[in-house]
Amino acid sequence: MKALLLRLEPVIWLLFGAGIMVGTLLLPGYLLTVALGAPLGLLPAHALSYERAHMLAAHPLGRLVLLAVIALPLWKGAHHTRALCVDLLGHGSDALVGSLLYAIALAGSIAGIAAVLTI
Amino acid sequence: MARPANPHAMAPARPGATRTAPPQIPDDFWSQPRMRTYLLFDATGIVYLLVGLVALRVAWALAAGPEAWRALLHGFSNPLYLLFHAVALAASLFVGVRFFRLFPKAQPAHIGPAKPPPQPVLHAMLYAAWAGVTLALLAILGGVWP
Repeated sequence: MKALLLRLEPVIWLLFGAGIMVGTLLLPGYLLTVALGAPLGLLPAHALSYERAHMLAAHPLGRLVLLAVIALPLWKGAHHTRALCVDLLGHGSDALVGSLLYAIALAGSIAGIAAVLTI
Repeated sequence: MARPANPHAMAPARPGATRTAPPQIPDDFWSQPRMRTYLLFDATGIVYLLVGLVALRVAWALAAGPEAWRALLHGFSNPLYLLFHAVALAASLFVGVRFFRLFPKAQPAHIGPAKPPPQPVLHAMLYAAWAGVTLALLAILGGVWP
């Protein structure tokens, strides 16, 4: 399993790098509106009504941005959480922990692709 | 008959002036301020992982219809969700500040004939992009435009 992770390292690094760069560029805007602004009533009522949110997310660019907000933080998160586990728990459990975290990121990414295509 | 390889066969004839010991992590490594910041940077991974999974719920709710969307936004007003998303905002700002400072230092000196801009310029460009993307998302998702 460790050998497979090493072999996949370039792909994982590409997704991790995209996650830390693109994910971090997108997250404050997403969090301030969808995750915090709307629930706290800080946005105009029509801003994230279902019709408007659906219209934005169904736009090709909207689908792409939504997929980026789903999938890229997953890969950044999986890779950094793995590194944290190596630092705190040692290398012994790395193959298991790493595989598990990347499996979550992969499953989430595939589910994300399916979700944005069905919007 | 071949003799077993001498483990010191490749060692220099005379030992160097500096003695080296195998690298070891000190027991109190996690209590060093620089190490703590580094571990905190890695720990933002847990938050990012959860943010990605919650964003997946957002897409599912949009695909499911108006009822699911309203239920999702109502669920987000739960204090635990608000606290989590506030922590996520702080984590993304921390990652941005630290990573955008590191990024210019990690660039290759040149790719073919193309050279990256000077480090302070690249740093400023990343902040400009960050502010631009954030303002665009605030305008679009905040109902200002279109």
